Amino acid sequence: MPRLEKIEYKPVSIRDVLTEMKDLSELMIDLAYAAALFNSKELAEDVHELEERVDTLAYLLDMNAMVAARDAEDAESLVAVSAVASAADKISDAAADIAAIVLKDIGVHPLIREAFEKVEEHLARTKIQPVSILVHKKIGELELAARIGVDIIAIRRGINWIIDPEDEETVEAEDVIFVRGAPSGVKAIMGLAGGTIKTFED
Amino acid sequence: MQKVKSFQKIVDTLALLKDTSELMLDLAYSSLLLNSTELAKEVLELEDYMDNLHTEFELSVLSSGFKPKESKDFLGLIRLGVVTEKIADAAAEMADVVLRGVEPHRVLTLVIKEAEETVTRLQVSENSPLIGKTLREARIPGKTGMWILVIRRGGKWIRPKPEVMLEVGDVLLASGYTDGEEDLKKLVLGKSPEQQ
Repeated sequence: MPRLEKIEYKPVSIRDVLTEMKDLSELMIDLAYAAALFNSKELAEDVHELEERVDTLAYLLDMNAMVAARDAEDAESLVAVSAVASAADKISDAAADIAAIVLKDIGVHPLIREAFEKVEEHLARTKIQPVSILVHKKIGELELAARIGVDIIAIRRGINWIIDPEDEETVEAEDVIFVRGAPSGVKAIMGLAGGTIKTFED
Repeated sequence: MQKVKSFQKIVDTLALLKDTSELMLDLAYSSLLLNSTELAKEVLELEDYMDNLHTEFELSVLSSGFKPKESKDFLGLIRLGVVTEKIADAAAEMADVVLRGVEPHRVLTLVIKEAEETVTRLQVSENSPLIGKTLREARIPGKTGMWILVIRRGGKWIRPKPEVMLEVGDVLLASGYTDGEEDLKKLVLGKSPEQQ
């Protein structure tokens, strides 16, 4: 049984909390599928931790929405916020279910995992080769999202993991990056990381 | 040989379940942002489609003839399928908010807008240079920075595979960075600057 902590009311911005819940739930789905696809317990554990964070946020959001409602009209419009937060919470639970498949050693049939990796166009992992133009670049300056429509969702550097890396983080040779995005962009990042593509222009 | 074939079906169906559940999320958030009952209804239609697809997936896993010692590996697959279904349900709940006529709170639209990404729907006009081109040839992401989420043709949903050929009247739902929206409009509506 995990020990659950009491969550006390504290005033927070409903907007900030909901933004964080939406972003985290989406990140978690990608991390969780990546964990299952690449059979990574580390990624699965991160998903598990993020799930606890989302649970706490869900309580905080509900408490603040209750306090914010002054009349029936407020309640009617805030219920939409609450419904969306609850949906984001469900999505994070679903991601945690995927993580559990990996953490509890249930696993996914290796042959199917391999085949799935081939048809999955939105997620990929790839190693940064020393000749890659991405080496020593800050994630913020690469602007991968705007240029090719992909995001780096995690970096494995030796035994360390960087989840949802900040703009200031740099990409280094031998890093293994986990990316998500448009299929064409995922293909492009594989080429950029491998050093076969030397420029962002196509 | 038989086994490889049934594996392929399992893999393809799982990929389709995953894509569809994520598409539903995109559409659900967009329906809230635009307060669009039309998009919300599309989410619910996809939910029906998901239900059937999920059953098909479970049946193909169960009938794949696995050995007792492989059962854990196949349990993992069944659970992945269940997860796609849960995500689809969550998307449908968001669409419900719109269909119940709840005016989305200002906070909601702000939160969804905060992401730089946008979703747009456009109908291919008869002047569009895209007509008769496959998606591979059209190179929409390269030209506009937006990518096609799904194509609606008549009453049917078409997944945007590279070999799909675009036709007049196709409704394209596209996602991407706000800057690309104007470029995509020009391409789909067939208006070049000199024609205006």
